[in-house]
Parts: sequence; C-alpha cells; structure tokens
Amino acid sequence: MKGLEFWKHVSIGRYVESDSMVHRMSPSTKYLWLLAVVLPASVSRSAVVVAAVTLLPLVLAPLARVRIRFLLRGILPVLPFVALAAAIQLLISWPNDGSLVLAAIGPVSVTAREALAVLTMGLRFVAIMTAIGLFTSVTSEGDTARGVEDLFAPLAAVGFPARPLALMIAVAFRFIPIVAGEFESVVKAQAARGADFGAGARGPIRKAKAYLPLLVPVTIRALERAEALAEAMEARCYGTGPATRYVDTAGGAADVLARIVALLWTIAALAGPAVAAAIGGGR
Amino acid sequence: MERSNVRKIVVAGALGAVSAVMAVTPLGYLPWFGGASLTIMHIPVIIAAVLEGPLAGTAVGLVFGVTSLVRAATAPVGPLDPLFANPLVSVLPRLFIAAAAWGAFKLFRGKASPIAAGFAGAVGSIVNTVLVLLALGLVGAEQLSGLFGVDPGALPAALAALALSNGLVEAAAAAVFTSSVVSAWRGIESVRGKARLSEEED
Repeated sequence: MKGLEFWKHVSIGRYVESDSMVHRMSPSTKYLWLLAVVLPASVSRSAVVVAAVTLLPLVLAPLARVRIRFLLRGILPVLPFVALAAAIQLLISWPNDGSLVLAAIGPVSVTAREALAVLTMGLRFVAIMTAIGLFTSVTSEGDTARGVEDLFAPLAAVGFPARPLALMIAVAFRFIPIVAGEFESVVKAQAARGADFGAGARGPIRKAKAYLPLLVPVTIRALERAEALAEAMEARCYGTGPATRYVDTAGGAADVLARIVALLWTIAALAGPAVAAAIGGGR
Repeated sequence: MERSNVRKIVVAGALGAVSAVMAVTPLGYLPWFGGASLTIMHIPVIIAAVLEGPLAGTAVGLVFGVTSLVRAATAPVGPLDPLFANPLVSVLPRLFIAAAAWGAFKLFRGKASPIAAGFAGAVGSIVNTVLVLLALGLVGAEQLSGLFGVDPGALPAALAALALSNGLVEAAAAAVFTSSVVSAWRGIESVRGKARLSEEED
C-alpha cells in the first residue's frame, strides 16, 4: 500500500543553516524584504516593475550563500503548465490589439502586447516563487514566528494581538511533526483493520464518511495535546503578566538600514509607474 | 468554563498544524472520480472557529493560507499552483472562512450543536470556494482562460460551474467532518468534566 509515509513529504520550506550576512539579519528585516518582492510582483501592472522585483531574489541569493540554481529548480515542475498557458494566451488574439506584430504564421500572430503580457505573467511566478524559496532557506522556524511578532509590534499598540499570533505560529510549527506522526499511525492502524478510505465508495458523502475514521481521531488527539500544553503553560503562569523574550531579535544598525531600504523599494515599486506616468503625461 | 486566552492560542496552533500537514501531504485531498479532488484542508479552520471563536479561527486560516502559499511556491505540482503562489489568492480569501463559519454557528444560539456545527462547516466551505475562485478570476483571468481553454469572456461561467460542482460537494464533506469532530470533542469534554466532579464527590 502506497502513501503511508507522509513523514518524508512534510517539509515546509527548507532552512539551510549558514552564517551569511542575510542569515544574520533580524527576522522582521527578512519579512520586509519578502514583502518588497511579493507585493509588487502580485499587484503591479507594470512589466518593468515586475522584471525589477524578479531580479531582487537572484541578487540577494549569492549574499545568502544560496545557489541560484537551487532556487530556480523549484520552478521546474510547473514550467510545462506555464508554457501551455502562455501558448494558449498567444494563440487567442486580443480584440483591438493595435500593437506591433512581431511574428505571424498564417492566421496566428504574435503582437508586442501579447508577448509582453506572457513575459510579465511568467516573471510574476518566478519572482514570487524564488522570493519565498529564498526566505524559507534563510529563516529558521523559530525566527519565522518571532519575526511575526516584531513585524506586527507597531500594531500591538492599537490592540493587535502580535504576541499571541507569534505564539500560535510557534505552537503550529511545533505540532506539525507530531500531527504528521499521528496521521501516519492512524492511517496504519485503520489500514490494518481493513479501511480503504473510500477507494471503492461512490458519492461524495460516502467518500467523506470513509475519511472520518482518519480525520476525527487525528483532530481529537491534536486537541487533547493542545489542552495538555495549555494546562502546562497556565500552571507556569503564562499570560498572567508581562513576558520577556529569550531570544533578542531587535537587530543592529545594519538591520534598521536594510528595513528602510526595503520599505523605500516597496513604495517605489508600487508608486513608481504612476509617478512616471504623471511626469510623462505632464510633458 | 471560560476559555482562557492561552487555551485559545494553543488550540489554534494545534489546528493550524493539522491544516498545514494536510496542505503539504496528499491527506488534504479526497480523491474523487474524474481526476478531480476535493479539498478538506479548510476544515480545521472551521473547527477552530466553532470551538474557539472567530479570532482563533482566522489565525488558523492565516496558517492554512500561508502554508498553501509556501507549498505552491516551493513545491508546485499542479497547473493552478503558480496562481496560488499569489497571496491575494492563497491567503486573503482564507481569512474570511472563520468569521463566516462562526457566524453560521452562532445563528443556532448554542442549540442543536451537531447540526449547527455541520451548518457552520457548509457555510465556511462555501465561503472558501467562492472567495478563492473570485480571487482566481480577478487575479489570474488571463492564465485561467488559457488553462481551461475557454474565451476570457466565458471565464465567469466556467468558474461558476466549478463552484457548483466541486464547491457543493466540498460543503457537504465539510459539514460531515465539522459536525463529527465537534460533537466528538464536545462529548469527550463533557464526559471528562462529569468524571472529575464525580471523583470529587466520592
């Protein structure tokens, strides 16, 4: 029976221990740089901006001693689908497309506007995928949670639960291997009793019911462990007064500078095209 | 018993882990005929909303969204994964599941708990389907029409068909799961409470 070893599939990100200058940055700085790529790449309509943010992770990767090939390899599995989408995109001609025709074979023509749209689409994927790949290779699990608290610390003043959120993420990270182990043991136990998890069942409700003996025990066991952990934390008076932190992630002057540059970059990437258009239109 | 803040945080973390494990393994998908698969990864979000309230549920929704974002970006397998590498598609819609499910659960004012939980599961699931497809349509209209091989103008119809076929089945599955888990957990809790009290009395 295949599919019993979930354990080896469970990896979110792939932290690579190293002592580069990017690794030494504080987690909130890394988050800001991640946003500086992902935000413009997902919302910007300008091809120039998307191209610029695509280069950013590739420039930062050598500084983090992460090989660019390692980042790009993650994209390989989706390339066929992107290529297919791009091909169909090129085949369907846009109405009122008055831009320059680059190539034409029979009725099918590739215009400059279509080529630009396809290129931007591809670059968006590459930018977001490499940025997240780079972030997860330079940020440990603990830092991922601590960074959330630092990042939302300004909002904590207006009542945003930054610390509970960080704690919740840290608990989730800690529980992931446990839950994966529970899934594995429950699947094996049920399979030993002849469960087929709905392989032969027809109809969605029956299918779902066949999964109940897996999902219910795993969720209940996770909830039981959570209750035990909460009881242990309450017994140690967590949440009754101000708490201190074991790891200091404030960062130094280099961090502050890097954060400011990241913010400026994001603002420039988001507002840049509009400003350029306004200047161009004003001429 | 009043739920303490620590409990809410820790339970949200545990359910977030369940959701994350489902998102990165094949466990989050029920294989269905025709190669289509139903997702059940959003069910921990609904369970958290029913058991611990909308804030805890939204936090689990955040974990679920970010996990699916990271998975789509670092280990893509399907044709839609590049689109899910966009936080507007993978994270933002998932933040609203919990509030909707919690609101649906509260409509019953604490009565008929298994039915209320099932209803919350269905509502949360439908909100997930509709918002994700809406985000997909808004963000990736060009790529989607390419993937489905339909005209950009016919895309809303294609997405609506997907919402009806997959979405309703997912809602039914979510109703069954949420109802079962919530009543099982409530049952365990109440039995435990009784056992402790009866021990005190003896």
